Amino acid sequence: MDPLLLARLQFATTTSLHFLFVAVTLGLVTLLVGLQTAWVLTGNPAYERLTRFWGQLYVINYALGIATGIVMEFQFGLNWSGLSRYVGNVFGAPLAIETLVAFFLESTFLGMWIFGWHRLRRGVHLALLWGVALTAYASAFWVMVANSWLQHPVGYEVRDGVAHLTDFGALLTNPTLGMAFGHVVAAALLTGGMLMAAVSAWHLIRHTADFTLFRTSLRIGLVTAALAVSLVVGFGFAQFGPVGQVQPTKFGGGADQGALVAEWTARFGPGDYAPPVLADVGLGFMIMIGMLLGCVWLLLPLLWRDWIIRLRVPLWITLLALPLPFAAVLLGWIAREVGRQPWVVYGLLPTGQAVSPVGPGVMLASLIGFTLLLGALAVANGMLFARYAARGAADPALGRPPAPAPEPARPMSVLA
Amino acid sequence: MELAWYALLGLFFAVYLVLGGYDYGVGLLLARGGGPDRRRAALTAVGPFFLGNEVWLVAAAGILFGAFPTLEGELLSGFYPVVAAALAGVVAVAVGVQLRSRPADGRARAAWDRVVVAGSLLAALGWGGLLAGLLQGVPLTAAGHVAGLGHVVTPFVAAAGIAMVALVTVHGATFLTLRLPAADAAPLARTARRLVAVALAAVALATVAGGLSDRVRAAAQRPLFAVLLPFVLFAALLVARAALARRRPGVAFAATSAALALPVALVGAALWPHVLVSTVDPAASLSVAGAAASGPTLALLGWLTVPLLPALLGFQAMCWWVFRGRTDGRAPVYW
Ligand code: HEM
Repeated sequence: MDPLLLARLQFATTTSLHFLFVAVTLGLVTLLVGLQTAWVLTGNPAYERLTRFWGQLYVINYALGIATGIVMEFQFGLNWSGLSRYVGNVFGAPLAIETLVAFFLESTFLGMWIFGWHRLRRGVHLALLWGVALTAYASAFWVMVANSWLQHPVGYEVRDGVAHLTDFGALLTNPTLGMAFGHVVAAALLTGGMLMAAVSAWHLIRHTADFTLFRTSLRIGLVTAALAVSLVVGFGFAQFGPVGQVQPTKFGGGADQGALVAEWTARFGPGDYAPPVLADVGLGFMIMIGMLLGCVWLLLPLLWRDWIIRLRVPLWITLLALPLPFAAVLLGWIAREVGRQPWVVYGLLPTGQAVSPVGPGVMLASLIGFTLLLGALAVANGMLFARYAARGAADPALGRPPAPAPEPARPMSVLA
Repeated sequence: MELAWYALLGLFFAVYLVLGGYDYGVGLLLARGGGPDRRRAALTAVGPFFLGNEVWLVAAAGILFGAFPTLEGELLSGFYPVVAAALAGVVAVAVGVQLRSRPADGRARAAWDRVVVAGSLLAALGWGGLLAGLLQGVPLTAAGHVAGLGHVVTPFVAAAGIAMVALVTVHGATFLTLRLPAADAAPLARTARRLVAVALAAVALATVAGGLSDRVRAAAQRPLFAVLLPFVLFAALLVARAALARRRPGVAFAATSAALALPVALVGAALWPHVLVSTVDPAASLSVAGAAASGPTLALLGWLTVPLLPALLGFQAMCWWVFRGRTDGRAPVYW
C-alpha cells in the first residue's frame, strides 16, 4: 500500500475526530462564560446549577479534544516530516505560538477551574473560565493562521529549497484567514448552541425533573444557534471571494485556473491539478445544511409563552437536527482541505513530497492503531457524554461541595 | 540564539518528565490493588495538577516544531515506533484519568484504571527508549533522512525504557508520600523505598547495556557527560531513599524529580554540538545549529513567547500553591 495514501487517511481520521470535539469545546465554553458570569453577577443559584451541569459536559468533551490534539501535533513529525523540512521555518511558528501562549494556559486554567470551586474566590474562579475561553479562541486563531498558510503561502521566500520567514504580518493578514476564522468560530458556536438546545429538548420531551432549568437552556441554546447560523452563513459566503481569488482551482472554472495550471505544469511537470470532486460534494452539502439550520430562526417566535414546549413537535425537530452541525463541520473541513489537493502547501509543496520516508507497514500499523485507539476513546467519551446529558442536573460531580469536615471514617467513599 | 532555544526545549521536556512522570508513576501504582478507595485517593492527590502537567509535553513539541523544524521531522519519524508508543500511552492516560470517575459502576472504573496503567507503562517505556535512542545515534544519511527503523531495536533502548518505568514508579510513589494524608503516607514511603532498590537495579542494567554498545561509545561527543548520567541517577535515588527513611518526603521528591530531569540535560550535553549523531556518515550528523529554524523565525518566537514565560510559570505556580499540602477529606475530588 502507498504510504502517502495511508498518511493522508490517518490525517483525515485524526483531524475529523479532533474537529468534532473541539467545535463543541469552543462553542460550549463561550456559553459557559455567559452562564457563570450571570451567576457571579446576579447570585442566582439557577445559573450556578446551569454552569455545573453544562460545565461537566464541557469537561467530559474536553478530554478527547486534548487526546486527539496531541496526536495531531505529533503526527506532523511522524508522518509529514517533509512539511517540517521544507516549510517548518514558517509553518512551525504559528503552531509553536499556539502551544505556548494558548493551549498551555488553557489547560492550566481549566485544571484550576475544575478543582477550584470551593477553594477560590468567586471572582478568581470566574476569571479562570474567562481565561480558558480566551485561550481557546487564541488557540483556534493560531491553528487557523497555520492552516491558512497551507492554503495560501505568504510572507516567505525560498532559499536553497527551504522556505524562510520574511514577513510574519503577512501570515496574519492572509486573505484565506479572516473570514475562515469567523466562519469556524461561528460554526463552533452554532454546534454548541444546537447541542445545548437538543439536550434540553430531550429533557423537556421526557418531562424529566428540572423543567425550569432546561427551559432556560433550551432558550439560550436556540437563540445562540440562530445568531450563530447567521454569522456562519455570512462568513461562509464571504469566503468565496478571497478563497476563489488565491485558489483558482478550488471552486473550479475561470480563466485564472487555466493559467495557474499551465504555470504549475511548467514548474512541476504535467499532472492532475484539479482537486477531487469530494471537495465539491462537501461544499454543496455543507451549504445545504447551513440553509436548513437557518430555519432555527423560525423556532424563535415559538419561545413566546413556551409554545415551543407546548407544541412538542419543535422540540423533536431540535433534537433530530443535532447531527446536522457536526456533519456540516466535517463537510466544510473536507471542502477546505480536500479542495487544496494535490498540494500540502498550495502551489509550493505537493502532498507527495511532504510525506515521511517510512515504510508502508509502519504507516499502516500506525493508521490502524491510532484509529482504533482514538475511535474507541471517542465512542466511550460520546457514550459518557450522552449518559451525563441524560442524567440531568441533579448533583453533578463538578463543583460538588466537599464533604463536611469532621467525618474521619472513610471520607473518600462519600465523594467517589 | 540556537543554544537558548535548545535549552528551552530541554527545559520543557525535562519538566514534562518530572510532572508527567509522577502522573505515570501514580498511574502505574494503580495496579497495586488495594481496592477502589486507594485508587480514588491516589487520583485525588494528582487531581488539580493533572491537566497542567501534560501541557509541558505539548509545549515542548511546539518548541520542537517552531524552533527546530528539521529535528522535529527526523526525530519523530526516525524513532517512529518509540514515539508512537509513547504517544499512545500519553493519550490513554490523558483520557483514562479524565474519564475514569464518570461511570458510576465500579467495574467500569476499574477498566478505565487499567487503561491508565497500560498508558503509563507505554509512555514511560517510550520516552525512556527515545532518550536512549538519541544517545546511541541514528543511521542519518547524507540526504538528511534516518534510514530504516531497525536501529531502535537494541538492548540498550529496551533497558532504558524499563529503567524509565522504574524511575517514574519511584517518583510517583514519592509524590504520593508527599501528598496523601499522613496516615496513608507511611506505608507508601516503605513501598517507595523498596521501589528505589528496583530502580537502582534497572538503571544499573541500562548502564551496562549502554556501556557495552559500540554505538553509544561512538555517538557520545562528550563521553564525560554520558558517564556522569548513571552516577547522577544512582546518587539521586540514594538521596531519595535516605530521605524517605528519615520521613523527609519533600527532599525525596526533589531527588526523584532530579532523577527524571537530569537525564535530559545530560543526553543533550553528551551529544553537543550535535543533536542527532549519524552512525553511518559522521558528516551527516545534525548539529543543534543546523536543526534550528532560521534567524527570523527564532527572533519572532522569541519576541512573542519569551515575555510570556513568566506568565506560564506564574499560573503553574498558582496551581501548585492553591492546591498545596496533603489531601484530606475536604480535598476537591473530580477524577
Ligand atoms: C450557507 C451556508 C454556508 C456557506 C456559504 C459556507 C461556505 C464555506 C466555504 C466557501 C468554505 C471553504 C473555504 C475554503 O475552502 O477555504 C467553508 C468551509 C467550512 N465550513 Fe462552511 N459554509 C456554510 C455553512 C456551514 C455550516 C452550517 C458549518 C458548520 C456548522 C460550516 C462549517 C465549515 C467549516 C468547519 C469549514 C472549514 C474551515 C473554513 O474554511 O472555514 N459551514 N464554508
